Amino acid sequence: MEPVIEAIDLGKCYQRRGVGAPTLMSRLAHMGKSTVHEPFWALRNVNFSIPRGTTVGVVGPNGSGKSSMLGLAAGTIHPTEGRIITRGRISSLLELGAGFHPDLSGRENVFLNAAVLGIPREDIARRMDAIVEFAGLKDFIDTPVKHYSSGMYVRLGFAVAVEMNPDILLIDEVLAVGDVAFQMKCFDRLNEFKKQGKTILLVTHDLVAVEQFCNEVKLIHEGSLVAEGAPADVVMEYLKRYMTRIGQLNVEEHGTRDVEFTQVALLDENGKEGTSFETGKALVVDIRYRAKKRIEKPVFGYSIKTGNGFFIYGTNTQLMKVDIDAVEGEGSFQLRIEPLSLMAGKYFLSLSAHSWDHETQYHRLEDWYPFAVTSPSADLGVFQLPTKWTLPRPD
Amino acid sequence: MNHLHDIMERRDLLWNLTVRELKIRYRNSALGFLWTLLIPLFMGLIYMFFLRLMAGRGVPMSEIIIGVFAWQFTVTSVNSGLHSITGNTNLVKKVYMPRIILPLAATLANLINYLLSLIVQFPLVAFLLYLQGEFISPMAVALPLVLILHFILNYGIALLLAAGNVHFRDLEHLIGVILSAWFFISPVMYNLSFIERVAADHPILLDLYMMNPMAIICTAYRAIILPHVSFPWTGLIWISIAGCGLLYVLADRIFSRQQKNFADML
Repeated sequence: MEPVIEAIDLGKCYQRRGVGAPTLMSRLAHMGKSTVHEPFWALRNVNFSIPRGTTVGVVGPNGSGKSSMLGLAAGTIHPTEGRIITRGRISSLLELGAGFHPDLSGRENVFLNAAVLGIPREDIARRMDAIVEFAGLKDFIDTPVKHYSSGMYVRLGFAVAVEMNPDILLIDEVLAVGDVAFQMKCFDRLNEFKKQGKTILLVTHDLVAVEQFCNEVKLIHEGSLVAEGAPADVVMEYLKRYMTRIGQLNVEEHGTRDVEFTQVALLDENGKEGTSFETGKALVVDIRYRAKKRIEKPVFGYSIKTGNGFFIYGTNTQLMKVDIDAVEGEGSFQLRIEPLSLMAGKYFLSLSAHSWDHETQYHRLEDWYPFAVTSPSADLGVFQLPTKWTLPRPD
Repeated sequence: MNHLHDIMERRDLLWNLTVRELKIRYRNSALGFLWTLLIPLFMGLIYMFFLRLMAGRGVPMSEIIIGVFAWQFTVTSVNSGLHSITGNTNLVKKVYMPRIILPLAATLANLINYLLSLIVQFPLVAFLLYLQGEFISPMAVALPLVLILHFILNYGIALLLAAGNVHFRDLEHLIGVILSAWFFISPVMYNLSFIERVAADHPILLDLYMMNPMAIICTAYRAIILPHVSFPWTGLIWISIAGCGLLYVLADRIFSRQQKNFADML
């Protein structure tokens, strides 16, 4: 099938220079001299094609070029080299409430915003009540939007935006705003778009959403497309490469290194190395270490946090009364978690080696190993608690 | 002209942005649209007394009113055109649309404003003429022609400044100076009789003076509305009128060429 969005050797270059637009004086001052601006490639040599009806997530660290890519697809910015071809009516939701004017009432802004987004006036007039209802602004629709809270502002913007009927929808992080109920509404609406066979390009930091919602994910870093493919794989790749450097996780390595972890592999129950594991099966951590000198009674520990930094479990050899007399030179051991009772999600594994009295930290790898868990069952939560039901019995 | 298709496709947006301009202008002010009338009227009065004081002779009030209202249209177009891109950063960066709609909406809003003010200006001028036992000239039916020329001039300037201001923010300061210079070399508070006296010995001066499109436009308004004013059809006038068209074509080119970079520069 013909792709609806196609990038061919796409590149966008910005000139790095002082703050703001050049002034006449600075132009005059540099006249005759060839000014050397440092070029900055926000995006370069990007090639991809997106078939009709797919939902594609774009992930990557801040400043990686995600928004430039959307801007290029939307046509708000122009490529420096290569080209991007789009087929069909595009709506871009790069910002909710684009064109809203603070002095105009909610109702006036609805019409204005609709015109900006290319929604026919008749459609909006007909759907006005539904829009107001959806935004939950019945009593405030004739109030100037400068008196709105930021939540109200965004809700109204979104209520208008969902009235769009494009072939291609570009969304930039806008769904990150608003409360949980609002976000659920957003995703409901996006699912509807999906069902209608629309193509969606979604830039977001919400990796859970990406995985649930997208058919395909592209990972962008420093202006290049570094990975693309199935959401679970690309998200994992992303976490492994970059996510660990930022966020609420505290990725760091410290310790005296008298004992250090030299090689760590996460294995499944068949001994196959991977980063994705299944609830109820085994997670085996294969650890190689090196001790520079003889260390008496070392303690090894591990802990697991969720992707957003919530500590969920930790233990060590001391607590579990696995006494290790001493380590010296190189060696290996295994940590076996079976059954893995974590539910589907992203997790981070930390490892540590310290002295019996906790005085000396030999080596600590904090939030060092990301892994994913998939669950075959539909139950919810972080943990799968061993659960049994009895059948109801009349008294 | 090559944008006509794009603009027609988004005429809904064009209209909404035009209405937004007008609504915002008068929102929160008690007198609202009245300001559009009051400002030129006050200015007219000030100019009239000032001129009597300085030059020792005056210009009929009706001529000043016509000049000041027309000048007001140009000044507001220049100022709103100047900010039409830089003042709508959000729309330029976050939404795809033909950017030319922004300066066009700004100029259209000012045109509508001007047309509304003409509704008041005409009876006022008619009344002033009536006091002298005169009537509005039947030539006034040619008003649309002058309006078109005036609009093309203002729109061309707005396009040029909108694109220019993205690159050189100095324009915002420079424009104030240029406008006041332009005001004095345009027959707004005076009329051509002041120039004709100076140009009596050197007719070329009048030709040069009429190269200024605002000299043509202000004089043309007066000539078609007022029975006692005639239009000096010197040979160079056509060049100047063609110049307005050329300015527009050029400004349109420059704007189209520059607009790709707007989102990067803002």
